[in-house]
Amino acid sequence: MKKKNWIYLTALLPFVVVTCLYELLPLVMVVVNSFEPDVGTGFTLENYETVFTKLLYQKAIINSIKISLISSLAGIVIAFFGARAIHQEKGKVGRFFMMILNMVSNFAGIPLAFAYMILLGNAGLMVHIGQTLGIETLANYNLYTSNGMSMIYVYFQIPLATLLLIPAFDGIRKEWKEAAILLGSREGYFWRKVGIPALMPGIMGTFSVLFANALAAYATVYALMMNNISLLPVQIAGSYVGEVKTKPGLGGALSVVMMILMVLMIGFTNKVSARFQRGREKS
Amino acid sequence: MKKGRTSARVLMSVIIIYLLIPLAITFIYSLFEKWTGILPENFSLISYETIFTGREFLLCIARTMVLCLLPILITTVMILLALFVSTVCFPGLEKYIQIVCMIPYTIQGIILSVSILSLYVSNDGILGNRLVMLFGAYCIIIMPYIYQGIRNGMRAVNVTMLLEAAEMLGASRFYTYFRIVVPNILSSIVISALLAVGIIFGDYVLVRNLCGTSFQNMQIYLYQAMKSDSTKSSAVFVVIMLITFLITAIVLKMQGKENQRNGERG
Repeated sequence: MKKKNWIYLTALLPFVVVTCLYELLPLVMVVVNSFEPDVGTGFTLENYETVFTKLLYQKAIINSIKISLISSLAGIVIAFFGARAIHQEKGKVGRFFMMILNMVSNFAGIPLAFAYMILLGNAGLMVHIGQTLGIETLANYNLYTSNGMSMIYVYFQIPLATLLLIPAFDGIRKEWKEAAILLGSREGYFWRKVGIPALMPGIMGTFSVLFANALAAYATVYALMMNNISLLPVQIAGSYVGEVKTKPGLGGALSVVMMILMVLMIGFTNKVSARFQRGREKS
Repeated sequence: MKKGRTSARVLMSVIIIYLLIPLAITFIYSLFEKWTGILPENFSLISYETIFTGREFLLCIARTMVLCLLPILITTVMILLALFVSTVCFPGLEKYIQIVCMIPYTIQGIILSVSILSLYVSNDGILGNRLVMLFGAYCIIIMPYIYQGIRNGMRAVNVTMLLEAAEMLGASRFYTYFRIVVPNILSSIVISALLAVGIIFGDYVLVRNLCGTSFQNMQIYLYQAMKSDSTKSSAVFVVIMLITFLITAIVLKMQGKENQRNGERG
C-alpha cells in the first residue's frame, strides 16, 4: 500500500516553504543574532553578559519568573478544585461551568486589561466601593504594579488550567475512592494519598503550559503599563520596536533566555511526572 | 456522597461568579453615561450608537475578518497537503510535521513577532512588506490548532482503510484523499478554522509588533479608544466579547455534535 512515490513529496512544498520562512528561519536567526554584537560584526557573548549583569534585565527575568510561578500555582490549585467539582457533578451546573470556562478562556489581551481597569484601576469600581465601605485593601489597591497585576494573571490562568485538568480526572476511578472509603479513609486523605499522585502527570503537564502562558503574556501587561515595567516580554518587544535604536542582539539574547526558561520548566515537569508514572507501574 | 455534590455545585458557582464579574461590570458600564459612585447613572446607548454609526469601527471589523481568511486558508491547505504526504506515502515524516506544528504553541506571539520582524525588516522585496510578514506570522500562530483539529478528524475516520478501499476500486490516492477523506473530516476542519478565527480576532501582539498601530484591527482599536474614552471603549469591548463568545458557542455546539457522531460510530 505505502509505495514510495517521490512525486507526492511536492505536496509538502507549501508547508516547508511557509514554516521555513516564518517559523524555523526566524527562530534560528534570533539565536544567531543573540551571539552578534549590536554594533559591528563577529561572535560575542556580550549580549548575554548585559542580560545577566544589568539590573534592569535581571529584574525583568526575576519578575517574570516570579509572576509566572505564583499565577501558575494559584491557577493550578483553583483548577484542581474546579475540575474535581465538575468530576463529581456533571449535571446542569457542571455543563454551565464548562461553557463559561470555554467562553472565558478566550477572554485575554487588551479586553482583559480594560475590564480590570474598570474594576480595579485608579478610579475603578472596586476601589470606590472600598473607599465608601472603608475596606483598606480595596481602597488602596494598585493595579499598576507587578503585584497588582498578578490578579489578572491568576484570572486568565483559571479557565485554561481547569479545561486542561478536567480530562485527567477521568483517570480517577470510582472504585478507588469507594475502596478507600470502605477502608476508613476520609475524603481529604484519599485525595492526598491516591488522587493527587495519580493526577500528577496531568497536573505537571498543565503547570508547564500555564507557566509558558504567563511568561509570554504581553498584550495585557502592555495595555496597562506600556513599557514601564520590568518583565521579559516587555523588554524583548522594547529592544525591537518603538525605541530610537533597535537592539536585535540584546532582544535575541532575552528571547533565548525566555525559551530556555520554558524548556527548563517542560523538562522539570516531565521529570516529576515520570517519577509518578513509574510509581504507578510498580504497584 | 450527596454532601460532596452540593459542595461541588457551590464551588463551581463561586468560580463562575468570579470569572463573570469583570465581564458583567464592563457590560453594565457600557450602558450608562457615568459610573463614578457605587451605582451607575443615566442609562444610555449612546456609546453603541457612536461606534456603529462611525465608519471607522465597522472598517476595523471588516479588516479583522480579511486578516482571518487568508492565513486560515493557507494553513489549512498546507497542512492537509503535508498530512496527505505523510499518511499516504511517507509515514516517517509525520513525527517531524508534528514537531514543527507544535513549536508555535510554546514560542507564542512575542518571540515569533520579534524574530520575524528582525529577519525581514530590512528586506526590500515582498518579504519586507509588513502585511506579508503579518500573514506569515498568523499562518504559524494558528498552525498547532489547525494541525490538531485535522489530525483528530483523521483519527476518527480511519484514513488508511478508506484509501485502501478506494485504491482497490481504481481511484488515485490524491483523488481519494481530497474527494473522500477531506469531505469526511470537514467538520473537524471547520472547528479548527473557527478556533483560529478566535485567535486572530484576539491578537494584539503580532499586529502591533509587525504592522504598528497604524494598521487597526479590533484589539488595536480598543487599545486606542481606551486611552481617550472609557465609555466608548466599553462598548467596543462588549462587541469584541460578543463576537468571541459567538465563535466559541458555535465551536462547542459543533464539537458536541462531532463527539456524538463519533460515539455512535465507535
